[in-house]
Amino acid sequence: MNKDDTVKLISAEGFEFVIDKKAAMVSQTIRNMLTSPGSFSETQLGQVTFPEISTTILEKICQYFYWSMQYASGKETEFHIEPELTLELMMAANYLHT
Amino acid sequence: MSNPQRKRNFQIEAFKHKVVVDPKYADKTWKILEHAIHEIYNHNASGLSFEELYRNAYNMVLHKYGEKLYTGLVATMTAHLKDISKSIEDAQGGLFLEELNRKWNDHNKALQMIRDILMYMDRTFIQSTRKTPVHELGLILWRDNVIYSSKIRTRLLDTLLELVLRERTGEVINRGLMRNIIKMLMDLGSSVYQEEFEQPFLEVSAEFYKGESQKFIECCDCGEYLKKAERRLNEEMERVTHYLDAKSEAKITNVVEKEMIANHMLALVHMENSGLVNMLLDDKYEDLGRMYNLFRRVSNGLSTVRDVMTSHIREIGKQLVTDPERLKDPVEFVQRLLDEKDKYDKIISSAFNNDKTFQNALNSSFEYFINLNARSPEFISLFVDDKLRKGLKGVSEEDVEVILDKVMMLFRYLQEKDVFEKYYKQHLAKRLLSGKTVSDDAERSLIVKLKTECGYQFTSKLEGMFTDMKTSQDTMQGFYASHPELGEGPTLTVQVLTTGSWPTQPSVTCNLPAEMSALCEKFRSYYLGTHTGRRLSWQTNMGTADIKATFGKGQKHELNVSTYQMCVLMLFNNSDRLSYKEIEQATEIPASDLKRCLQSLACVKGKNVLRKEPMSKDIGEDDAFFVNDKFTSKFYKVKIGTVVAQKESEPEKQETRQRVEEDRKPQIEAAVVRIMKSRRVLDHNNIIMEVTKQLQSRFLANPTEIKKRIESLIERDFLERDNVDRKLYRYLA
Repeated sequence: MNKDDTVKLISAEGFEFVIDKKAAMVSQTIRNMLTSPGSFSETQLGQVTFPEISTTILEKICQYFYWSMQYASGKETEFHIEPELTLELMMAANYLHT
Repeated sequence: MSNPQRKRNFQIEAFKHKVVVDPKYADKTWKILEHAIHEIYNHNASGLSFEELYRNAYNMVLHKYGEKLYTGLVATMTAHLKDISKSIEDAQGGLFLEELNRKWNDHNKALQMIRDILMYMDRTFIQSTRKTPVHELGLILWRDNVIYSSKIRTRLLDTLLELVLRERTGEVINRGLMRNIIKMLMDLGSSVYQEEFEQPFLEVSAEFYKGESQKFIECCDCGEYLKKAERRLNEEMERVTHYLDAKSEAKITNVVEKEMIANHMLALVHMENSGLVNMLLDDKYEDLGRMYNLFRRVSNGLSTVRDVMTSHIREIGKQLVTDPERLKDPVEFVQRLLDEKDKYDKIISSAFNNDKTFQNALNSSFEYFINLNARSPEFISLFVDDKLRKGLKGVSEEDVEVILDKVMMLFRYLQEKDVFEKYYKQHLAKRLLSGKTVSDDAERSLIVKLKTECGYQFTSKLEGMFTDMKTSQDTMQGFYASHPELGEGPTLTVQVLTTGSWPTQPSVTCNLPAEMSALCEKFRSYYLGTHTGRRLSWQTNMGTADIKATFGKGQKHELNVSTYQMCVLMLFNNSDRLSYKEIEQATEIPASDLKRCLQSLACVKGKNVLRKEPMSKDIGEDDAFFVNDKFTSKFYKVKIGTVVAQKESEPEKQETRQRVEEDRKPQIEAAVVRIMKSRRVLDHNNIIMEVTKQLQSRFLANPTEIKKRIESLIERDFLERDNVDRKLYRYLA
């Protein structure tokens, strides 16, 4: 996979998720991080660290990105969320503007 | 996590797993962000982590420090802009704009970065407190601190206007820079653009063009002036596309139009030696086209051009149709009209964009002056006659159509179409009877055109004439088939003409030579035998004859002459010398016709088969005639000048006029009756109006004449006056 097309998301615990830029840009916050003019370190390195998001949640978020793209292209399926994750996931969603 | 539609419905309460206890938390966080903003303005952002900054701003807003964040931002940014403003003020001369532009770009970029990291504030805090969003705030701060800075504001405007002026005077300026600066003003809001640039720009431009147009109008001719005006206009439009707001185009062109064209319109059109009239005279299509395109832009521009053109055409046309020299040659007269029409058609099509209103003006002008001359109908018919007699030889069918179409166009202008019909009938009759028509197709084509123009009624008689010609041919074949013994001796060709279809001529018969009158009698009995109940009368004044003649030295010729001339010549078979009186007695040809026919036999050089004593140009009552034995001609066939269709002499004209007037009476009466039959009751003015309208396609009815006709109808009990209102007429069934 071309490095320019992917982005590395790092959780609080240091787990790395490499996903498509297109998918990551479902989040308005990540989109801004990657497209903002000037050279923030995120743009230069192609990776974003989220010290306040746990691995479990970040994984769920990555899953959501891909599901969301599919949903937008017309494939309507359910996105399952475990009840114990709901609260944290919502806070992360607010943070990521998703 | 949910998709955006659902999310809008519930508010996410700020909740933090880490409860912040540090009272200096807000200050510390703000310090980090403030530092970052400094770094961004100093082009030092590469080490910064977007996520960290975003998270800090996020947390500040989340922990109700939004106000602190916002005011901090305003203060920091203002401070930076004040520095920037200072450095721009310090820029020397030409560098001023460049510095401004560079700083503007920097600010824009920084602003975008700041907005991105403060996005959470934009989304929540600013929305709930209805403050100005970050980006807009950045523009406003820039406007207030930089553009409105007292040392920059006027300097900026002056610089911009000076650059425009320099470009107008032909210098090359940095358009890219110009564009950027103007774009900056537009980005700051259209009111900023208008107040800081557009308004003064338009004022200065108006002043500039006012001066320039004054200068041009004093030293240039009209064509040159228009060229310059056009160039200026294009320049301004180009300027707009290069570096101004597209909305300014209409405004600035308006200024140029007003100052350079509208204010000098009359001076331009009437400019001596180069104004509109001169352009028209000299066929200056390019200048005219330019004038059209420029004047079209200003109100009343085109109507001014049109009015001047109309009065010019009317003047020229009036001179043309009333010039006594022109009246001598009808064909030339009509040709001149056509040429004039062609000229203006071309001008309108190539310079005036085929403008309908101009075409209408042209048409009305032609209608005006063609009808100034009462002889126009006659002349047009003569023109057709000339073309159909000889003018169309060797011309292709399409060209014939073109000429005929042009004639039809002139015909349309005529108000007295019935006069034209009268003459056309006469001329057509002469053409048909003398076998002079060149092209049957062309004749018919014109009839068809007249028919489409004026209806069946107009041409029915003309068509009847063609039918008669055809029937006559058949009749002659039948006649000779039933009289095979006539193979020898003179041949008779009779054309049986229906009375009414043909122009009526006073039927004066002459005495035909014996052998001819015998033949005529035979035909009469044959014809009346096949068609009972008809009456034949001979129209000797309209016929022609081919006779063989042998002259003194034995030279033989075939002479093509009129029937009258034939009668005269046949007399010389029995005698060598005849006096005028003797000829008149023997033939009984009316005196005026006889004189004309003798003149063409004896006085025309090269065709003088008769000799006259005494030799003179005119025929006198005491003259004597001899066969001219010395007659020679290099042709075997000699055509003796027959009386061709000519311009009518004055009494003939009067006569035709009278006949036309006579013919109009029943038409007016018919129109009145038609109208009254459907309306039952109508007042005087309305009748006049409607009758005029109904008859318009044929002639322009004279109101006095209509009144006379109405009175005559009242006398004959078709109408009556209303007892109460004398102006009202009633139809009596």
